[in-house]
Amino acid sequence: MTAHADTLAQTRQFAGGRRNIAGPSADTLRVWPLLILLIALFDLPLLFTLGLSLYGKNGFTLAHYAELLNTPAYLGVMASTLRVSLIATLVNALVGYPLAYWITGLDPRRRGIALACVLLPFWVSILVRTYAWIVVLGNGGLVNRLLQWGGVVDEPISFLYSEVGVTIGMTNVLLPFLVLPLYATMMRIDGRLTQAASSLGASSWTVFWRVFFPLTVPTLAASSLLVFMLSLGFYVTPAILGGGKVAMAGNLLDSLINQIPRWEMAAALAAVLLVITLAIYFAYARLGRWSRA
Amino acid sequence: MSSIRLENLGKSYAGVQAVRGVDLTVADGEFFTILGPSGSGKTTLLTLIAGLAMPTEGRILFGDRDVTHVPTVGRGIGLVFQNYALFPHMTVFDNVAFPLSVRKKKRAEIEDRVQEALSLVRLTGFEKRKPSQMSGGQQQRVALARAIVFRPTILLLDEPLGALDRKLREELQVELKELQRSLRVTTLLVTHDQEEALSLSDRLLVIDKGTVQQIAPPREAYLRPANSFVADFLGISNFVPLDGGKGVVRPERLQVELIGEHGSRGPSVTAPNATGRVREAVYLGQVVRLHVTLDDGGELIAAVSPAGPAALAQSGDAVAVSWQREHVWPLEATRSGAEAARRAAFHK
Amino acid sequence: MKRRDFAIGAPFVIAAATLGSGSVLAQPKVIRMVESGGKSGESIEVAYIKPFTAKTGVRVSREAPNPLGKLRAMVGSGNVSAALFELGSPSLAQAKALGLLDKLDWAAIDPLPIFPEARDDYGMGFQYFSTVMAWRADAKAPATWADFFDVDRFPGKRALPDYPHYLLQFALIGDGVSADKVFPLDVDRAFRKLETVKKSVSVWWKAGTQPPQLLKDNEVRYAISWSTRIVDEPTLRFTYDQGMYDISWLTVPKGVEPAEKALAMKLLHEVTVPENQVRATEIIKLSGNSVDLERLVGAEKFATFPTATKNKASQFRQDAEWWRINGEAVNKRWETFKLAL
Repeated sequence: MTAHADTLAQTRQFAGGRRNIAGPSADTLRVWPLLILLIALFDLPLLFTLGLSLYGKNGFTLAHYAELLNTPAYLGVMASTLRVSLIATLVNALVGYPLAYWITGLDPRRRGIALACVLLPFWVSILVRTYAWIVVLGNGGLVNRLLQWGGVVDEPISFLYSEVGVTIGMTNVLLPFLVLPLYATMMRIDGRLTQAASSLGASSWTVFWRVFFPLTVPTLAASSLLVFMLSLGFYVTPAILGGGKVAMAGNLLDSLINQIPRWEMAAALAAVLLVITLAIYFAYARLGRWSRA
Repeated sequence: MSSIRLENLGKSYAGVQAVRGVDLTVADGEFFTILGPSGSGKTTLLTLIAGLAMPTEGRILFGDRDVTHVPTVGRGIGLVFQNYALFPHMTVFDNVAFPLSVRKKKRAEIEDRVQEALSLVRLTGFEKRKPSQMSGGQQQRVALARAIVFRPTILLLDEPLGALDRKLREELQVELKELQRSLRVTTLLVTHDQEEALSLSDRLLVIDKGTVQQIAPPREAYLRPANSFVADFLGISNFVPLDGGKGVVRPERLQVELIGEHGSRGPSVTAPNATGRVREAVYLGQVVRLHVTLDDGGELIAAVSPAGPAALAQSGDAVAVSWQREHVWPLEATRSGAEAARRAAFHK
Repeated sequence: MKRRDFAIGAPFVIAAATLGSGSVLAQPKVIRMVESGGKSGESIEVAYIKPFTAKTGVRVSREAPNPLGKLRAMVGSGNVSAALFELGSPSLAQAKALGLLDKLDWAAIDPLPIFPEARDDYGMGFQYFSTVMAWRADAKAPATWADFFDVDRFPGKRALPDYPHYLLQFALIGDGVSADKVFPLDVDRAFRKLETVKKSVSVWWKAGTQPPQLLKDNEVRYAISWSTRIVDEPTLRFTYDQGMYDISWLTVPKGVEPAEKALAMKLLHEVTVPENQVRATEIIKLSGNSVDLERLVGAEKFATFPTATKNKASQFRQDAEWWRINGEAVNKRWETFKLAL
């Protein structure tokens, strides 16, 4: 996937590794049943959703999309969703990258503990995790009680029920998706690259920014993209930690499907979100190719 | 250019002594090799000199400058690794330019010196390639160009040719030697390959179990090894009796004569040192290697010219093996006062 | 049109062929029910399913949650796997309009006496719940919605539902509309009223567990909440005055196997038995549909339940049909309002 991986593969080849045999083989054929299953399970429902958004009483229509574009509230919700997801992704990257870097520097035992801590949220239900933040950051929560007890503030600070709360909550939930791939990539980076760089006269700062960081950029970009896409679908965390003030598409979809119910509008909204996500993905893929060329 | 001096250098990791008591002076412009099997401490020695690890005892001096506690970045050494350690996200040009650009050199100067370095390693025209688009030999030449482009006073090579196939390795050995000679940079090569060590070095150091075994020019180390470890490590050794003790003689110093069906031998004058039968004859092109089982049960390996009569020997043939006394080098127990005399004789 | 039918139908046909093929005339050993889960589901299990299974030998498997979307997908696919489906009153109205339900066979149910509003052609109201005003015991107690929405005389943060269905009515009453004239809703006026309080709202809640927790944590001093969440909280207060009662319904999805439907009717009979309902009240503080429940439980003990005579009289009823017609338009207003917060 990355230039670095290419080099590794090459190194292995020269070290006596076997070249992959090009062209179709029995292995390729064996992939088909799984591929068909995947298409049936994941892609067909997606196509039906798309179909739903394009059909009205008289067959094909763009009326649902027209309505979507003419409803400022729905556009506003989409804009808000994109903005919140973008912020959550940025904060995730800003927190996750140093965290992953820090973990790679630990001894194996501590590394294990640190990784377990990062993974911990995976083992706890999203609802429990989200409520845990209320216990920590609420008006009567740990942080505020400490601040008041220490005389730092008189009135509790409201961390929650705002975009700040949503960002904190989403970062917590999504952090593993960023930290784990980054950690794996960082561990794979040959220590000799940084040793070579510093022997060639580069300061630690230069070694990091010119050698280490660029090698992690493809993973950082890919996992940020993943976090961003997951953020778009977030529902529970914004609803609870955002105090209902942070509009997310997931909420709107829920009411369009279960309350109103207008599936075709929900389908149109989902399709637009999908297109935006795909556009970002292709932009990323293109950028990746361009930077490698 | 700069000399390297190690004084009583030692390093232990978590109580395990990886290297101890190394005293060494590498002369300005010398091509010096550290040779040893894996786990011998040779790589530890290199990391200490490179500043990638700090010694637990002793001192390191480059010229008159004590660099014992100077980190890698301040040592001004060119470092080349076995796996090339090229920056995969940079082009060949950017890789080679790296040491210059971190030194904030002007663009024009960088251009000139990168071109110069690339032409030295014969890679002109490859500037825009990525390392992944090059062969192993080319990549290692890029690594070499990158290590010399900023004109370091010392070049450290850590098994630089180890990942290459034999033919390429031999080609690069020649290039490396030429390059080193033209740059006159003090060069320290770490390798486990004794042929490489013998062919490239002005002098070499043999290390085992963290302790220096011998420091000598290749020819001396080969012909007059300090102990049986060095003898064995540097090539095939035949251990023969000498003055009531043991001596070592190299296979190419043995003369082998076929004994005819009637016990007849060629026109040799002297009596053979031993007789036996060929167990195996291995044709290697430049030489034929004969494994001889002696009548007394001992074993000798001789390398004979494929053009000579002994090359016709086949397994089972009776042979006479002889050697000259001055080609036998006495080992530890045997060596005594006679050693100094022999050494003097050897050098004259 | 044809293409759409094919496109939507294809996977469902396959699914139906594999999953729904076991249709036989023999009586099923188990029927499925989709309900809202939690304590409510537990009360259904203990109070109604247990006696039903004892009498018929048929087990009932419960599944939660119960969004309308699930019912719509089930009926749309032709793979009707559940004999009973719990719906809130707005969902019931939607489901009826979308033709997702089978008529109940009230003769087969043969119900014991129940409140008239709990009897619908397409559903049996089985659970009464109330939306009420609640506050911390240490806060100044409001008596009316006018008090509740008066942030000057009753200062403190509020937690309001993130559902216009359970909010706009109270805003209108707070603005002076009388409770019996609140429907049809004057939507503009309701939003104008909300504008005056929105700065004091720290949470628009989505889950029923939020308001009691927010009150207890002193995140807010006043909240609109489901009554059942507040009843047992010693540090919280609430009133049924000017509250709104609503009904949860049990319905039969269209296209269910007749044998399963017949069993469902028998289960619905159990739902009308007051003695069974008493058992339900021991698990959740919500009323069943029996007119005899208050007598059986005892007036004093029943005083905290939504259908206690006094409570029912002081509340007004949700108008699901109004929401069915106006829900989408209100929702767009709602999203607009929320975006400007």
